[in-house]
Amino acid sequence: MLMNFDKLGAWRWILSGICALMALFLLLPILFIVALSFGNSRWLIFPPPGWTLKWYGELFADPRWLQAAFTSAKIAAIVMVLSVAIGLLASLALVRGRFRGREVLRGFFLTPMVLPVVIIAVALYAAFLRLGLNGTLPGFVIAHLIVALPFSIITISGALETFDPSIEDAAILCGASPWEARFRVTLPAISHGLFSAAIFSFLISWDEVVLAIFMASPTLQTLPVKVWTTLRQDLTPVIAAASTLLVLLTVVLMIAAALIRKGKSR
Amino acid sequence: MTSPYLHINGIRKTFGDVVATDHVELEIGEGEFMTFLGPSGSGKSTTLYILAGFQDPTAGDIRLRGKSILQTPSHKRNIGMVFQRYTLFPHLSVGENVAFPLRVRRAPQAEIAAKVKRALSLVRLDGFEDRMPGNMSGGQQQRVALARALVYDPPVLLMDEPLSALDKKLREEIQYEIRRIHQQTGVTILYVTHDQEEALRLSDRIAVFNRGRIEQVGTGPELYASPATHFVADFIGDSAFLTGELAEVKDGRATLRFTDGTHLADVPMHGPGARGGKAELMLRPERIDLSDTVGPPGASLPVTVEDVTFLGNNSAVTARTGWGDPLYIRLNFGHPMMGSVSRGDKLHVRWQPQDAHVFTNE
Repeated sequence: MLMNFDKLGAWRWILSGICALMALFLLLPILFIVALSFGNSRWLIFPPPGWTLKWYGELFADPRWLQAAFTSAKIAAIVMVLSVAIGLLASLALVRGRFRGREVLRGFFLTPMVLPVVIIAVALYAAFLRLGLNGTLPGFVIAHLIVALPFSIITISGALETFDPSIEDAAILCGASPWEARFRVTLPAISHGLFSAAIFSFLISWDEVVLAIFMASPTLQTLPVKVWTTLRQDLTPVIAAASTLLVLLTVVLMIAAALIRKGKSR
Repeated sequence: MTSPYLHINGIRKTFGDVVATDHVELEIGEGEFMTFLGPSGSGKSTTLYILAGFQDPTAGDIRLRGKSILQTPSHKRNIGMVFQRYTLFPHLSVGENVAFPLRVRRAPQAEIAAKVKRALSLVRLDGFEDRMPGNMSGGQQQRVALARALVYDPPVLLMDEPLSALDKKLREEIQYEIRRIHQQTGVTILYVTHDQEEALRLSDRIAVFNRGRIEQVGTGPELYASPATHFVADFIGDSAFLTGELAEVKDGRATLRFTDGTHLADVPMHGPGARGGKAELMLRPERIDLSDTVGPPGASLPVTVEDVTFLGNNSAVTARTGWGDPLYIRLNFGHPMMGSVSRGDKLHVRWQPQDAHVFTNE
C-alpha cells in the first residue's frame, strides 16, 4: 500500500470527516423524502410536525398508482429477461469470437451508455411514430432494452472473460456436446454475472424516467412517469410515499447484487 | 502383425504459412506410456490437440484400432484428457466433477456412484466427494481431473503438461502417482512435456519433437546412449559439442581434425558426411574421465584444467582443449583425481569409444 491509513495521524480524522460529509450529501435527499412520506403535513413541511401512515393509505387506495407500479414491474421483468438473453449471446460473440471488427462491434454495443438519454428518446419517439409503437408495451420494452443492454453485456462479458475456455473443452472431451457443455458448465460457472446483469437490467428499467416520458400514453405509464406527472399537477405527500417505495425496491435489489458479488469473491 | 493400436499417420498442420507439425508419424502400442518431448512451439501440443479433435490436420490420418477417428467430433471420441490449466467445473463438487462424463452418457445412478468412488480411490482422494474445487490445492485438483478423465475407461488418455503449474516437489510426487496409475490401469497414455527429467521418469518411449517434426523415438536409455541428432543429444542429458572437420570417413566411422591439428580417429558417425565437411563431436560430462595418462587413439584428448568446483557427491571440472573449446567433466566422489586436480593441470580426457558421437547434420 502506498498510503497506510493507520499512519496518517491527524489526516485520518480529516479524511474520515470528508467521507462522512460525502455520504451524507448523497443520502440526505433520500432520507428527506422518506421522512416526508411519514410526515403529517399536507404541505411537505420539514421537519414534519407529526407522523402518519395516511399517505401510504392514499397511495394503495388509488388504482392508478397500483396500475403504474404493475406496468413498471411488468416492463422491467420483460427487459430483464431479454437483456440477459441477448447480453449473453452478444458476450459469447465478443469474448469468444475471433472475427474482424470485433472491437468496433463492442464499442457499438456500448454506445447507448455514453449517448445522452434524451437523444435516444427523441430518436426512438420519431422512429416509433412510424411503427406505431409509442404508448405500447413493446415500445417501452425496446426503449429500456437499449439502455439496459450495455450494462448486461459489460457484466456478462466480464464474467465470461474470467472463465477459462479450457474448462468447456474439458467438458466436451468428457462427452458433452458443445451446447450441452455450455449449458451444464459455462452458464452455471458464470451465473453470478448473469444474476448481476438481471438485477441491473431490472433496475435500469424500473427507475428510468426520460425514455418512459416519451413512450408513455395516458393509459400506459410507469411508476416514475406517474410520479413525474403527479408532481406537475399538485404537490402531495403521496409522491413521497411512492418515491420511498421505489427507493426501497432499488435498495433491496442493490443489496442482492452486492451479496451475489460477495458470494462470488468468497 | 495387424495394424497398431494407435497410428498417427503423417500428420501435417499448417496455420497460414506457419507449419506447426510436419509428417508426424508414430505407432503407439496398447497400454504404452508415450511422451512427446520438445521445446515450446515444436508441434507436440498441436499433435495432441489434433488427437483430441480440437484441431483438424491439414493432411494425414489418425487411426485407433485401425479405424480413423478424424471424422468423429471431440465429444464422441471417448478420449480422456488432463489439461495444463485447472479445468475442474468450478460450480460442481469433486464427486459431481468425476460423475460428469458418466452423467452425460446417461449411466444409471448406482453405476455412477460406484465408478466415482473407484476413480477417486485410484487417485488417492477417497472421501473428497463433497469438496469444492476452489478449496483444493493445485495438485489435488489435477488428481481430480485425472480421475474425471479415467472414470469412463477411455481407450487413450491425453495429458498436456498437467504438472507445469505445480512446484518441483509436488510435481515429483504426482509423477510417481501417474506412474502407479498407469501400471494399475494399463491405460494408453500420450503425455506432452518440455521437461526431459519428467519424460525419462514416466515414459515407456519418448518421441522428441523439434520444429514440427519427430527427431527420434525411443526409450530413455536409447535416446541417451545413441542420440540420432545433435538436437536429441542436446535435449536429453548434458552434453558438450566440439566442432571440427571430417578428415576421413569410412564405414560409418570418422576421423576428425580440429583447428590446432589434433586428430581423433575411428569415432561412430550419425548422419551423412563427406571428407572436408564440418562435424561435431559430442561428449557427456558424466561419461568422460580425467587421467594423467593418454588413452587409446580415438578415445582421448589432451586438455588444460581451468576450474574445479566441489559439489558434494561430485566435482565439476571445466577444462579447455588444445584449440580452446570448453569441456565439462564430472568426477564422482572417491575418484582418484578428486582432490589432486587443480587449475592449470595438463591432463587427458578419456572415454569409452561407444560414448562419443559425431554429428554432421545441423
